Amino acid sequence: MTLAPDPATVKRALSAHAAIGLLAGALLYIVCLSGSLLVFYEEWQRFEQAAPPQMAAIDPDAVQRGMEALLATERGRTPTTHFYVDLPVEKLPTTRVITDTQSVHLDAEGNLAGPERIEWSNFLYGLHYTLNIPVAQGLVGITIVGILGMLMIALALSGLIAHPRIFRDAFRLRTRHVGGVALSDWHNRLSVWTLPFTLAIAVTGAVIGLATVASYAIAGRYYGGDTEAFYATMFGEEGKPDPAPAPLPNVAAALRYMEANHPDLRLTYVVVHEPGTAGQHVQIVAEHPRRLIFGEYYMFDSSGNFQGTAGLADGALGQQAAASNYNLHFGNFGGLPVKIAYALLGLALTAVCATGTFIWLGKRRRRGFDEPRLRAAWHAVVWGAPAALALTLAVRLTFGHAAPFAAIFWLGLAAVVLVAVAAAGRTARPVEAAIQQA
Amino acid sequence: MDGAAPLLWIAAALGAAGVAVLRHAWSLPKRSAGWNTGGWALLAVSILASATAEGAWGVAIAALVTMGAALVALAAAALQSPPGRTPVSNRRVGLLPEAGEPKRIGRRFGTFGLVIVAGLLVSMGLATALRGIGGLLGWHEANSNALALFAVPVLWAVLCTVLLMQTRRCDQVVTLLVCALPVVPVLLSGVLS
Repeated sequence: MTLAPDPATVKRALSAHAAIGLLAGALLYIVCLSGSLLVFYEEWQRFEQAAPPQMAAIDPDAVQRGMEALLATERGRTPTTHFYVDLPVEKLPTTRVITDTQSVHLDAEGNLAGPERIEWSNFLYGLHYTLNIPVAQGLVGITIVGILGMLMIALALSGLIAHPRIFRDAFRLRTRHVGGVALSDWHNRLSVWTLPFTLAIAVTGAVIGLATVASYAIAGRYYGGDTEAFYATMFGEEGKPDPAPAPLPNVAAALRYMEANHPDLRLTYVVVHEPGTAGQHVQIVAEHPRRLIFGEYYMFDSSGNFQGTAGLADGALGQQAAASNYNLHFGNFGGLPVKIAYALLGLALTAVCATGTFIWLGKRRRRGFDEPRLRAAWHAVVWGAPAALALTLAVRLTFGHAAPFAAIFWLGLAAVVLVAVAAAGRTARPVEAAIQQA
Repeated sequence: MDGAAPLLWIAAALGAAGVAVLRHAWSLPKRSAGWNTGGWALLAVSILASATAEGAWGVAIAALVTMGAALVALAAAALQSPPGRTPVSNRRVGLLPEAGEPKRIGRRFGTFGLVIVAGLLVSMGLATALRGIGGLLGWHEANSNALALFAVPVLWAVLCTVLLMQTRRCDQVVTLLVCALPVVPVLLSGVLS
């Protein structure tokens, strides 16, 4: 008995694989490339803005002072709906206080120390998350990226069916063979050995990207359209809003409680919901060592009294799985060694995307269908995307943080593709003539 | 990774050993059930041991070490590859028309609509139905909801692959309709509730 599919199935799977690959094509390549770089999001932030005060830890009272100082600058403006404190951690040893409209660094005493300037890092984040599509607050972009994640899963499935010998040949890499063999081998070998990684980031990425759309459907059926109620089952509920004015909550007391009762945990974030109102409450996000979850929510009332946890660390399996999705996708669960592994595996996946289309073009060419413009366009995407990213970084270093990085990237890439296609069109000649010359 | 259980590193080493055994098994002139089973068994034991040692986090770490070992073996194969000229596969994927063939643009748009639009709707319907089944079985709400969130892209990817492997339009439509059947009670109960 053999599990190998019959030749007709293999052929149909290959067609499906090629169709999905071409459909996802350039966008999937860009998402993989930007994702490989985004693994180092915190390191990029440090690279981009090295000046802010560095600290290994910050005193709870300094955090409280910093929050009050930032809120004082917003007096008379629309009140912020959330207030965040990004606490210092090993990979990013700075403290930032963040409202709906601004993000400012603190020094170790809690004084405001200048605005955050990480626009390039955020451009890279936006490129990977939403392809920089701002429509509907990024919903369209993130859904497209989610669809690309789904297509990546489908590519893995169809690729496995289309290549019955893919495991048997898993160590065969004929890098010095000519005529397309080397390219095929690189594509298939990297695909098979990065398969667990590919499936992990494709599923988690697709879940992140499609969660909004999926939650509309599920909440529409089971929660009367209330998506917050749907998410609350996994991530915990927000408090009841009460707009009556109130002083800022005692975040310092909450932080001191965590220091005293959970000295083994790494505190990463403070979130104040509805700050400055009677309905406000505090969440502290704490990383649990050697866990995939991004953290556990420790909840406090406005006086800083501990109220309970959301259950991400020890609640239902579904809560733990949902909370593990982000770290598993971004490689934030084992320090720099895991980040480096993720970046390398991500680059391998990027190479798989690039070689897939080259293999398809090569097959067409060998069958007598030379498509110089299409080939030039794909070359332009494969080499132009990293070049355009490098250009945005050069602009950041030369002209500062205010440059329109998304426009530079997309217009730069479009220009490279157009020039490549035009140049290929001018020099194109029938493949028969080329064969005769050869 | 400080403080990780020693069993995790043993599990990671077993994963790397599994790769080495499979490397040997697949280099043999004839298929060897013993070596093959040994290699896969080592990988399975690596997963179990890492899960026992450090849970899901441990499995993720051990898997990265195993993949790293495989890529090292692959790099060795790349460096040792002799020059050669092997006939490359020219299997036609039938994706774009060849000389004289019609372009069938309308059919291509139809396929896109079935795979992407109908595929998404059916997958979301199935995920919603799964959520409902979880509720009926008395699962924790978070478990049913998380399962539904994860189900959408996975079911859609499977559906996408199956639909694109079907060559006849009516087969594709039948597949979608059959997959949509579990959604009907969910919709009906929603209408009736």
